[in-house]
Amino acid sequence: MPFRHLLVAVDGSEASERALQKGLELARLLNASVTALAVEGPLPAYAATIGEVEEVRREKDAFFGRLADEVRARARAAGVEIEVEVRPGHAAELISRVAAERDADLIVIGHRGHFLRDHLLGSTADRVAEHAACPVMIVR
Amino acid sequence: MGNLALATILVAAALAASMLSVELGISVALIELSLGVVIGNALDVTTPEWLVFLAGFAGILLTFLAGAEVDVPQLRREWRASLALGLVSFAAPFLAAMAFAYWGLGWTGDASKIAGIALSTTSLAVVYAVLVETGLNRTAIGQRIMAATFVTDLGTVVALSVLFVTPSLWIVPFAGVSVALIVGLPKLAPWFFARFGDRVIEPEIKLAFAGLLLLMWLGERAASHAVLPAFVLGLALSSHYASHRREQERLRVVAFAFLTPLFFLRGGMSVSLGALGANLGVLVLLFAAKMLPKLAGVYPLARRYCAPHAPFTTLLMSTGLTFGTISSLYGLSAGIIDETQFSLLVAVVVLSAIVPTVIAQRLFQPDAAEEARREAAAARRPALEGEGA
Repeated sequence: MPFRHLLVAVDGSEASERALQKGLELARLLNASVTALAVEGPLPAYAATIGEVEEVRREKDAFFGRLADEVRARARAAGVEIEVEVRPGHAAELISRVAAERDADLIVIGHRGHFLRDHLLGSTADRVAEHAACPVMIVR
Repeated sequence: MGNLALATILVAAALAASMLSVELGISVALIELSLGVVIGNALDVTTPEWLVFLAGFAGILLTFLAGAEVDVPQLRREWRASLALGLVSFAAPFLAAMAFAYWGLGWTGDASKIAGIALSTTSLAVVYAVLVETGLNRTAIGQRIMAATFVTDLGTVVALSVLFVTPSLWIVPFAGVSVALIVGLPKLAPWFFARFGDRVIEPEIKLAFAGLLLLMWLGERAASHAVLPAFVLGLALSSHYASHRREQERLRVVAFAFLTPLFFLRGGMSVSLGALGANLGVLVLLFAAKMLPKLAGVYPLARRYCAPHAPFTTLLMSTGLTFGTISSLYGLSAGIIDETQFSLLVAVVVLSAIVPTVIAQRLFQPDAAEEARREAAAARRPALEGEGA
């Protein structure tokens, strides 16, 4: 099955680094394009001051700005066409949704391996694999 | 319990609240309030004078910061559409909750006024966080909701300052100094901050603190409350802070590191779980006295000004937290309400921060990208119609 467009989930973690590496290698081999999706976590819920929200927002903007630049640089070095998208929301749900919106035919996602959280809640990668409409490659 | 022991416990609780806030993604204020409830109910603590004073000052500082965080250009753009929405959002729950507390619960007139004020608020910060998170803060509808929230909170601070005034000569210096600071400080700020600012000894923070303490003192002498001038002073300085972000951040650091934790912890410490348990029915009724008039009053206007997102707008306008807590704590500190009434009001305020936000986000959250496209199409339509004609 030819993969023409890949969606790679990135969040700056080691697991997402490995996923990005594999995603870019695969894209170069298949001459596929890539959408890198970074999902911003929520702002502080029920904040008492705008300052508290603003500060977290600025930190997030700076972090995801740096992450997007790094991902673009890595893709350029690998000779892969990439579009980086940063969106707020629930990670598993958003990754599946954006993959469908972008007609991605493969999702590449890292597996962090948090023993307790994975067993209690299930990992993001597991949930994406369960809900996505296209094949999912989980990079360990 | 000795002063040092209590201070150590409170600062440790503030530290724990900060760490939990980062880990859980929940506002530090809500966690401080909750830890205050634990401390107040688990330990036999009488709130000392120094804590009452510092919490009172922190409340005024929070009000000042809220004013300073208002986006004035946005407010100017949206004030016409937001005025009706914001005024009804204040007046409907204020009148209904006050009437219910007076006739339904048999509270005194002044305690009923505190109930009306505390339950009339809309949380600027809760609304702002939801709008930013969804990207709606960039759309016209998001900006309209923020401006309406500001109008509601202005109603709250006006009511808190005006309704308890006892006519005396002290009103004259209180009003005069308030006007002088509101008019004078924004003019003085550029020179003062350029000459003395950006130093580790922080003269600009001391200037703001001196102004706020002066307002508190004169407000107390006038049997009023400094929230209104503090809020308007913040608003008057908001343009200055907008162009001097580092100064605003340093002020926030001082506030959030030490003062506002004491405000929320002190608030939580005065909440009696026993009183809440014994009055669960009253709690539900007071919650309804806030929510039902908000929903009934705001929804028709939201349909007119914020269509097609009227339910989302209405629910956001029904949130509350900081000003509700400030009003309740003022009532408790001034002896207007007792501990049971305070506990009920703060519990309703906290519930109103959580319940409408969750419902709005889960059931009615608009898609920001779709909203932006809809607004762009609506903006193009008159132009196309004009070309057609």
